Amino acid sequence: MRDVETRPKRGEWIIVLTILFASLPLILGFALLIISSFSKDMVTNLSLSSFRPTIENWINVFQGRLAITGGIRQNILKITLNTLVVALGVSGIVTLISTLAGYSLSRMKFRGRKLMMLLLLMLHAFPGVALIVGVYLLYRLTFPQEPSFVRLYSFFYVVLARAALEIPMSVWLMKGFFDTIPWEFEWSGIIDGASRIKVWRQIMLPLIKPGILAVALFGFLAGWQDLIYVRTFLIDQTLATFIEANIEAEYSHMPLIAAAGTLYLLPTIMFFLTAQQLLLQGYSGGIKG
Amino acid sequence: MKGKVGILLAMVVLFGVIASGCIGSQETSETKTTSVELTGDFVKDVLAIGKALESNGVSEVKFSAWGSGDPNSVMRVYGIVEAARRINKVWEENGVNVRITITDTHYVASFQDAYQEYLSKQPLGQAGDFFVNSYAFLPTLADEGYILDITEYANAYKNVIEDFYPSLIEASKFNGKLYGLPQDTEARPLYIRKDVAAKIGFNLEGIEEKVKNGEFTWSDVYYWAKKAKESGVEWGLIHRKGSAHPDLIQFIFAFGGKLYNEDSGKLVVDVPAVYKWLYVEWKFAQDGLLPKDIMSWDWAKQIHPAIVEGRTLFDIGGTWYWTEWQTKEYYGKEGTPRPLKPEEVQAWFAYTLFPAGEKGLKPVTLSQPFVWMINSKAGQQNPKYDELKDLYHKLAFLMIIKASDPDINAIHSVISAHLPVRKEAAKLISDEKWLNDLKNLNLDLDPQVKDNIKDIVATTVHPINAKFLADVSYMLEYTKLAPAHPKYPALADIFKEAVDKVLRGEMTPEEGVNYIIQKINADPELAQNVEVVGEIPRDWKFP
Repeated sequence: MRDVETRPKRGEWIIVLTILFASLPLILGFALLIISSFSKDMVTNLSLSSFRPTIENWINVFQGRLAITGGIRQNILKITLNTLVVALGVSGIVTLISTLAGYSLSRMKFRGRKLMMLLLLMLHAFPGVALIVGVYLLYRLTFPQEPSFVRLYSFFYVVLARAALEIPMSVWLMKGFFDTIPWEFEWSGIIDGASRIKVWRQIMLPLIKPGILAVALFGFLAGWQDLIYVRTFLIDQTLATFIEANIEAEYSHMPLIAAAGTLYLLPTIMFFLTAQQLLLQGYSGGIKG
Repeated sequence: MKGKVGILLAMVVLFGVIASGCIGSQETSETKTTSVELTGDFVKDVLAIGKALESNGVSEVKFSAWGSGDPNSVMRVYGIVEAARRINKVWEENGVNVRITITDTHYVASFQDAYQEYLSKQPLGQAGDFFVNSYAFLPTLADEGYILDITEYANAYKNVIEDFYPSLIEASKFNGKLYGLPQDTEARPLYIRKDVAAKIGFNLEGIEEKVKNGEFTWSDVYYWAKKAKESGVEWGLIHRKGSAHPDLIQFIFAFGGKLYNEDSGKLVVDVPAVYKWLYVEWKFAQDGLLPKDIMSWDWAKQIHPAIVEGRTLFDIGGTWYWTEWQTKEYYGKEGTPRPLKPEEVQAWFAYTLFPAGEKGLKPVTLSQPFVWMINSKAGQQNPKYDELKDLYHKLAFLMIIKASDPDINAIHSVISAHLPVRKEAAKLISDEKWLNDLKNLNLDLDPQVKDNIKDIVATTVHPINAKFLADVSYMLEYTKLAPAHPKYPALADIFKEAVDKVLRGEMTPEEGVNYIIQKINADPELAQNVEVVGEIPRDWKFP
């Protein structure tokens, strides 16, 4: 079999075209959304006849209003900040716990390890919606009596609850990454006198950067796009609930919703664009003979 | 020794009794007013509550207002903001050092979503103190204890309550108790394009009276719709889409059917009326007078442009269409889409009640009143809530009384094309001077409210629009309300599916009726709450 570098260019073109063709509906969907956000009318068919350029939609979105005339203005920057807090919170907790748990499951032998891994996988099978009643009950039980803490607590709770849903899969993912690192790296560290936690932090983590990034990214996206937990527990609005609350088709000016939708997409696109090299990098180290 | 101990104990007990008496008497002298009787005199009541709050050390009362609906209906929350300002003014003028602050004005377009949010957040004490939403949700919220029973408070304000239209007050009740005050309502007229009618020789002179008397029925609508189609007009009829609630179920009432059995408390599928409804839809669609796929049409790109560009003779719409056509760019006949001018809307559209299904029956319209409701935990973000609950609740009630001031209600009606809920407000919208003042925002309103409604006022306040509202107000006499039953939304969704299938020709009207019954029976909970009555009429003819 030929190596990638020596494969004929003709074959490469076919692959690129196939991938492009397969992802065309997706690209087209995003493109129409972005075009519509700069148009007075929605561009929903393939002709650009209804495209009437304007930046009015974006101005209105940044002014926090989703109606052409009137409507209540909302502080969109605060809403974006709320979304960011939830997304970064989920991402941080998921990354921290899954790198620690993934390492222990990959490297340490302890009683119930297999069962734990199995249970983690089972946990992942439960969708967030199925757990909402229990999670709501817990929220009510742990709810602070002091009204001034409620707002803060709702952030804290929604981040924890959403992270809990992401952790099982992320732990498995991280375990897989740790499994790919040869034992020799760790041994040499331990022989040199480092503790397990130091080995984990100084030797293992730098080696699995792509894994950490992947888990952090998925955690971020989970928090960024969450709707049901945010709507149920968070007092403040996030971009997801803001768009959802205003999307009722009959009343809404859809190009404005398209602008809000594009704004909502931006971090995801930026994250993928900037991180894709690192994500594809994988482990590329070697072992000293 | 024992005697000495006994005397000592007796003295301690005596001292205790005297001391407690003293402490008690001191407490009595410091007891603050925590309850106020409402008298019906607004200023007097507001002052009494203000003073009672002040004497309890409260200088700021925090409330939040939640509203929902179309973007032009901002007065659903700004009404509360304005009410707070008016009460603050009374306190300020009378030297009461208490102020109301509206901490949160939460507003979402989808009223169903707002209701869901309220349901999940009320038990945690995070829902708004004031909640404006459809009367349809009121029974569930009242039953759960999530909203305040204001019957007793309202008894003191009979003079205000009596100014509301009685049917709307009835819609705000549950089990005979009042749980809110009406905020707005609407009618759903049948719009007729005057230019298309003229083209086909359809004389609209006196059409309103003919419809009122039941002389002009759905058979006539069919006849003229067909004429329009034959003359080259694209459609005979365009109607609303989505859940069959509440627009299309007008057909059930127009065919003399009912949707709710008051004796059993169950929903009703009135088979003859439902069959006739489906038959009319089927006949219109099969003959190409009504788009077969209307239920999946786009509001902004298909439904409204077809109406405003005169591509249909008839349209079943809502009163709010009148100003919506003036604020949104639906008219694209000249190339670049633009909104209609008030003069154009007036020149192009006639409007009547929803005609009777057949001769001998009555025309109808349908309303979905919105209601100001008060959270049963209203005021809980304030100090000493448990002790002063009564004061906070009564103040909240006075807030919605103030928010129902005729001018606030009339502003809402004019800028959102909903109908006023009070007779006094109805008088205002016919007052030219007042309309002029509103147009110039020359009214005593909160600067925040003025700033937020100025765009809407500029585009919607016009004598033509006020005249339209005055003209359609009589429709409230013919109005029907959809049942406020928790299972009704599920039934309405089944109706919608059946209408869609019948329109597309996938089912005959008879199959449509059977489909509805099967779907109800497939859901045991729904089946328990629905009665199926009557049979498909075999010898019925349409048109």
